[in-house]
Amino acid sequence: MMDNESLKTLFFETYHGEEIVNCIQCGSCTASCPLASMMDYGPRQLFALAREGFMQDVLSANTMWFCVSCYGCTVKCPRDISITDHMYALKKMAIKHDLKNPKSKMPMMYKSFSDPVKKFGKITDTSVIFRYAFFHPIDIMKNSRLAFNLAKKNRLEILIHPIKNLKGFKKVMTKALELEKK
Amino acid sequence: MKYGFFPGCTYSSSAGYKESTEAVSKILGTELIEIEDWNCCGATSYWSTQDIPAYVLPARIMALAEKQNLKQIVNVCNACYSTLRKAKEKLSKDNELLEKVNISLAEEKLKYSGKVTIRHYLEVIVNDLKPEDIKKHVNVDIKDVIVAPYYGCQLNRPWGDLDNPHYPTMLDRLCKIIGAGVLSDFSAKTSCCGAASIMPHNKECLSLNQRIVSDALFKGAKVISTICPLCQLNVDASQLKLNLTKIPVLYFTQLMGLAFGLNERELGMDKLIVPFKI
Repeated sequence: MMDNESLKTLFFETYHGEEIVNCIQCGSCTASCPLASMMDYGPRQLFALAREGFMQDVLSANTMWFCVSCYGCTVKCPRDISITDHMYALKKMAIKHDLKNPKSKMPMMYKSFSDPVKKFGKITDTSVIFRYAFFHPIDIMKNSRLAFNLAKKNRLEILIHPIKNLKGFKKVMTKALELEKK
Repeated sequence: MKYGFFPGCTYSSSAGYKESTEAVSKILGTELIEIEDWNCCGATSYWSTQDIPAYVLPARIMALAEKQNLKQIVNVCNACYSTLRKAKEKLSKDNELLEKVNISLAEEKLKYSGKVTIRHYLEVIVNDLKPEDIKKHVNVDIKDVIVAPYYGCQLNRPWGDLDNPHYPTMLDRLCKIIGAGVLSDFSAKTSCCGAASIMPHNKECLSLNQRIVSDALFKGAKVISTICPLCQLNVDASQLKLNLTKIPVLYFTQLMGLAFGLNERELGMDKLIVPFKI
């Protein structure tokens, strides 16, 4: 496992996390966050930890997995810190360095979304939910009334119509992944 | 006026967004030319998990538009809008990333040069058309349809250059132009609906939707109007579980269609979960 020091350098230099040194700990981010109450640490605390170098604690927190990308904090921040973008960076780092919070369900949601994209070039609501249901069946069962309603209104797309040049698209994405790993 | 059009993945299965957008754009003469063979923009899932592919997905869409000689891309989904715009802005500043994106796109003989402008259809209607060009098509009085204009997150944030990021008024203005009633004090207009988190974190996200719905109800709205398919689905579907009076959640294009004299079926309003009744 990468040590705290190297993780901090990576966050600061590769993901531009260095701008969090400008944070004045005012807490506007946490106060404006719709799901802060669910987080191990609100964004303010998370940045305080990162700044002090507790990167392993930061990366294994559930905080960024509750970020819904509403950008509420970003527009409130008096120091113009791009908070939502840092949440994206921390999620990517947590995955890459195998530190992601084991209880968070969003990584599976993201995977359920990106799988049909890789396979067909696009998604349908049904294709994402079907995959997610495989891992978290109870979450889906709780929404059976909604599924019934959507089916009744002919809004469940069972078939995905893949993009036309699927072969070309897959080549593009393979190349992108290759460059990602370099 | 001609525009490139990126419908996004959920457009056709949404509660009448497709039907109403097509009908309204025909009336207004905003010709929406679909980008050929578009792919998913990747949205939050890709921003959260990958570096290069997260840019390649929106860049492919923009490159396809360039190939079709389209100068602008109109979106109807806030997430698509923000993804394309975010990618464009970053790629204009980061040459190394741009090069990697173009190496990937070259596999399909595509090239991204960053020439297209990213738009949202609401903003196109409000900014490119004169109020009288919209007003002249209004032939039904909908002043009793009192609207809670709900913008969601990713149109005005993080940018804040189209409208105020905390308290936008663009949709309010459009409602007034088409003769609808509009709440002047809808404080939940940019509250978050929970987006994709509503599936894994249903209970927590339901309370976010409760705030939106109850604020609209208590202030006397008859409908909530949205500009994004995910917002529409969440605010509409959440009401199956909220113990509140039901309030229909219409796309802004459906609202316009009603004012233009189209019927509910033509506007796909039979697909709404909370039925429209005034």
